[in-house]
Amino acid sequence: MKILIVEDEPVLNKSMVDYLTSQQYLCESVSNYRDALEKAELYHYDCIVLDIMLPGGSGLQILQTLKNANKTDGVIIISAKNELDDKIQGLSLGADDYLTKPFHLSELNVRIAAIIRRKNIQGSNLLAFEEITVDMPAKTVSVHKERVPLTRKEYELLVYLIINKNRVLSKNMIAEHLWGDDMDMADNYDFIYAHIKNLRKKLLNAGAADYLQSVYGMGYKFSAR
Amino acid sequence: MKLFDKYNRLNITATVLTFVVGSCAFYFLLRYILINQLDESLQTEQQEVTIYVSAHNALPEIISTKGQYTSYAPVAATLPVSFGNVRGGKSKEEYLREIQFTIIAGGKNYLVKVDKPLEETEDLLKVIIAVTVAMIAVILLMGYIINRIVIRRLWQPFYDTIGKVQKYHLADQDALRLAQVDVDEFSLLNRSINEMMERIKRDYDALKNFTGQAAHEMQTPLAVIRTRLDVLMQNELLLEKNAAPITDIEKAVHRLSRLYQSLLLLTKVENRQFELNEEISLDSIVAAKCNEHTEMAEAINLDMKLSLQPTTILFHQHLAEIIVSNLYNNAIRYNKPGGRVEIVLADNVLSVSNTSDHQQLDSSKLFKRFYRDGVTEEGNGLGLSIVKQICDVAGYPVSYEYSDGVHTFRIVFVRGV
Repeated sequence: MKILIVEDEPVLNKSMVDYLTSQQYLCESVSNYRDALEKAELYHYDCIVLDIMLPGGSGLQILQTLKNANKTDGVIIISAKNELDDKIQGLSLGADDYLTKPFHLSELNVRIAAIIRRKNIQGSNLLAFEEITVDMPAKTVSVHKERVPLTRKEYELLVYLIINKNRVLSKNMIAEHLWGDDMDMADNYDFIYAHIKNLRKKLLNAGAADYLQSVYGMGYKFSAR
Repeated sequence: MKLFDKYNRLNITATVLTFVVGSCAFYFLLRYILINQLDESLQTEQQEVTIYVSAHNALPEIISTKGQYTSYAPVAATLPVSFGNVRGGKSKEEYLREIQFTIIAGGKNYLVKVDKPLEETEDLLKVIIAVTVAMIAVILLMGYIINRIVIRRLWQPFYDTIGKVQKYHLADQDALRLAQVDVDEFSLLNRSINEMMERIKRDYDALKNFTGQAAHEMQTPLAVIRTRLDVLMQNELLLEKNAAPITDIEKAVHRLSRLYQSLLLLTKVENRQFELNEEISLDSIVAAKCNEHTEMAEAINLDMKLSLQPTTILFHQHLAEIIVSNLYNNAIRYNKPGGRVEIVLADNVLSVSNTSDHQQLDSSKLFKRFYRDGVTEEGNGLGLSIVKQICDVAGYPVSYEYSDGVHTFRIVFVRGV
């Protein structure tokens, strides 16, 4: 899976490249409008992570170019401007998603995975982790081919954990992913714990191994040890 | 009072006064001249009598005509010539001008009186006064007509300008363009407003750009901190010893980013950058937001009661969601374990009540930015000011009530109440 990262802030750019590379993506990165346009026109990417404000031009112009050339690269806009207009314009120009800075890398990872899955029609729609299988279109989960009934939140949580497997995820990240930025958790993550507990219990009861570990009280990690 | 009525009132008073004073002066002057003329003709009569007497040494025969009465009476003393107004004549009711003089005829001293009627003079004066009054009436009437028709038309450019200025919003894309008119004053007014609006628009755009850019400049470093932190977190060796500080940093970054987004939102609402004429279904927003907050409420065993009437209002979808969400956040955050939240939407009024251990809030400070009641350090202190700001801009009144440990926020979604 090839990903192009367009971001002018070098540290942020590097963070994204590091994170996504560790998630088995092939990452290329550019930091200005001219290079971004050149790469976007010449090559095909499964997903382009696009900053709107770039030295030399606007990310929206790159979107327009891609659209004019009928290119089907998935695009996720990352912008510091939480302007509704920008969002609507970006999405109408063919962007697949919009993420406002500052975002969590784990969140970016989930969004990219969703875009690639959507674009990649002939590819597998199954997300698998050891004996756990998630059928994304049907939104069902099975362990050892046995269906496990999950609530919507538990399902979303599991997908998030599997896509960000082997990573430490803080409670804050999980809460923001599940409930969005709109809701102010006010440092109260008790209700996340309830979902984690239920999910773990359901998976264990269905015969899965215990992959969900608590990490020093600050978050969780989903891994096969 | 309209400028024009003010001017009119002054104008009419001055006109009437001038005419009254003028006609009085005119009356007395005319009267003086007319009586003078009468006196001259009476003097001529006196001369005629004197000439007759010196020629014949006898008084002339009295011939009383309609316009003149003469009488003689013997007197002892010689009197000086005098004029006066008397009543008499045929009907004894006429006003007369009289000259009295003494003359010696045939060795005897006579007092001669010659009278001429004042009637014609009075008639003339009456006509003059009638004309004056008629002129005042005509001038006032003309003034009224001119005011009603001509002046209104003359002021039309002014009202056009005011109308355009009232309808104009800085957030509009186009600059305010007022047309040039052929009246210098209005032309100057329009030109000045145009220039002022251009300056304001420039400043406003600069400020808007600044907020956008400031957001970019601040959110990017925040994004760097956050992503770097995400990477740091993967180092479990480091995490083992520094879990608490890293969690603190993460929370601080989260808070800072929320704070900045809230401030940006407030600025945008203040700048009226939202169209508030979207038809939205408020009950479905309230229900959806309630759904999102269920888990938060369940975490502290809150009893959520929802009573909704289907309600469609003119508003902005996103802003309505923010308002409802902020009210929920507060109702849950400041609640007590096992407490209640009650949401009622009926007759276009949304009220959110919650139980709390907090005392009654100071409603004069409640909606101020960064207000906290001193007890809690949670939240960024912007939630309610955002609610208030949005409602103010949309024209929906917000109120707060407290009774028996229950705090209630009420928004009336009816404009202009």
